[in-house]
Amino acid sequence: MSSNRSKPHGLLAEFHTAADIFEAAIRCRDAGFTQWDVYTPFPIHGMDEAMGLRKSPVGWFTFCGGFTGFFTGMTMIWYMNKFDYPLVVGGKPLFTPLYAFPVSYEMTILLSAFGTLFGMFFLNRLPKFYNPLFKNERFKKSTDDRFFICIEATDPKFGTDATRTFLTEKCHAAVVELVED
Amino acid sequence: MNAISRQTKSWMAVGGAVAVAAIALFALFGTLPAMGADAGPAAHSAQDAAHASASHGADDHGHAAVSVFSLKQIAHSYLTAYMFCLSLCVGSLFLTLAHHLFDAGWSASIRRVTETVASLLFPWMLILALPIIVFAWTGNLHAWFKIDPASDHALDVKKVLFNPMTFTVLVPVLITLLGLLARQIRAWSIAQDKDGAAHWTSKSRKLAAGGIFFFAFGVTLLCFLLMKSLQHQFFSTMYGVYYFAGSVWTTLITLYLLTMWLSQPGRPLEKVYFKRQQQDLGVLFFAFTVFYSYIHFSQYFLIWNAAIPEETFWYVRREVGSWKWVGMTILFGHFFVPFLILLNQDIKRNLAVMIPVGAWAWLMQYVDMTYNVMPVVHPDGLHLTLWDPIFWIGMSVVLARLFWSDYRKNPAYPLKDPRLQEAIIHHEVPAPGASAAH
Repeated sequence: MSSNRSKPHGLLAEFHTAADIFEAAIRCRDAGFTQWDVYTPFPIHGMDEAMGLRKSPVGWFTFCGGFTGFFTGMTMIWYMNKFDYPLVVGGKPLFTPLYAFPVSYEMTILLSAFGTLFGMFFLNRLPKFYNPLFKNERFKKSTDDRFFICIEATDPKFGTDATRTFLTEKCHAAVVELVED
Repeated sequence: MNAISRQTKSWMAVGGAVAVAAIALFALFGTLPAMGADAGPAAHSAQDAAHASASHGADDHGHAAVSVFSLKQIAHSYLTAYMFCLSLCVGSLFLTLAHHLFDAGWSASIRRVTETVASLLFPWMLILALPIIVFAWTGNLHAWFKIDPASDHALDVKKVLFNPMTFTVLVPVLITLLGLLARQIRAWSIAQDKDGAAHWTSKSRKLAAGGIFFFAFGVTLLCFLLMKSLQHQFFSTMYGVYYFAGSVWTTLITLYLLTMWLSQPGRPLEKVYFKRQQQDLGVLFFAFTVFYSYIHFSQYFLIWNAAIPEETFWYVRREVGSWKWVGMTILFGHFFVPFLILLNQDIKRNLAVMIPVGAWAWLMQYVDMTYNVMPVVHPDGLHLTLWDPIFWIGMSVVLARLFWSDYRKNPAYPLKDPRLQEAIIHHEVPAPGASAAH
């Protein structure tokens, strides 16, 4: 269309059923697109595979968080109760992993949760305050009864006309162009 | 039919070979405890400390050295094996009840397996419990069968539960009722195979709603009576849930391997068992690895922290000699190692890992039962005898055989369960390149 106005953000394809978008996702995956995403009102089983997504690396952030939490808890209690201010309580040893375990365990959970949340933020480049998708009125239906695929202009395989043809003819979708502001 | 019986035969042969290997292994190790028994004054003084801390001064009749061929040894080996097998039955009953309580979809296709294992409770586990009652009456198991409560305060306050008559009535009644609960739910499920009516499912759900309470009380009472009361001075309100957690843990990996085997090409679950069931069973197994440790650690930690002699003696006794290392084996083998292995999402579908983990889990559950039962007769340390593998493997093989003949009599999965469709919806996603032809 009129690409002289401003830089294109990508093409937004609209689908009416989960089955349609599932098929379309497989086609996009096989066409070799990399910078694209699927927006649906509810999770669709098998979509990860249909999109060809890798397993999320967020688990590593969780693991590192948990690992750090556990040893922080143990070290903290050892430092406080045995090293910095030794105090006998109930005739128990000054330090043993036993009584340090509940706190370390909770530190594990806390830092695992932090690792998960902030790892996810980091990987998704969040927080992000603006996305051209927000300006599209029809896109609001992605929280109701419509299914969308957005192929972004940054994709190396993206070409406005070729991609539009691909989406309308191969995927049978209604397509609109999105622009950056 | 022929094929199945051939499979059964080859499977029995494998079982036999494993049994022979295990017996040989145990025979070899059976000679080791002689060294452990002479661990020297250190072990004995620790044992004395254990005595002293059992403040009621109740003498433990099981404390004398026990010879390999004594009835006492046989009784305790038998009880250990029985508790192991019972854990698989109650674990299966729990999973059946939980399926109905949650109105689950994914587990509909594997439910007939848990229903059938749980149905072993009646009559088979009941029959297998009878020798335990005989052993107890003849003074070879629970010391309190031969103690006058008037001379033992710890027993006197618990004599309502811990007296021979209550034991003799309650143990068979509880096993029978749990077994009938399992059989009733299975009977309704089989009735549904014929007419496909949904009301069988809602009936099962209602029974499961009440049944889960009975299950909780029943299993707690059973493991109190059969296992915990071997040292009747002990207090722990967590003991029931501790046994339950270990039971479901073992059951889940057993179910994982069994359904995996049953879903191989040509076997009955081939068309109703998918990656999803495998993954979910693996995830639940992982969850119960954590749950078991949480419960066992809590029991230990509360006792350690309160430091009341009536409770601590139980663990003090289990830090004597090689029992300390058995405890460490449970800590690392029952928790840390499986936990770290199973952390990875994809590992739960990797059979090269899950099969060894399964075998290890069975061993760990048996070690856990040994840790509960055997220190009573072998206070100086772990003492394996030939009876242990004979009863453990023998009872398991007999029950497996009974399970298999029972399982074959009915459809391999609930044919007309209303939720079956949910379990077998399978998303076949073409691999990259497959759609290029369109």
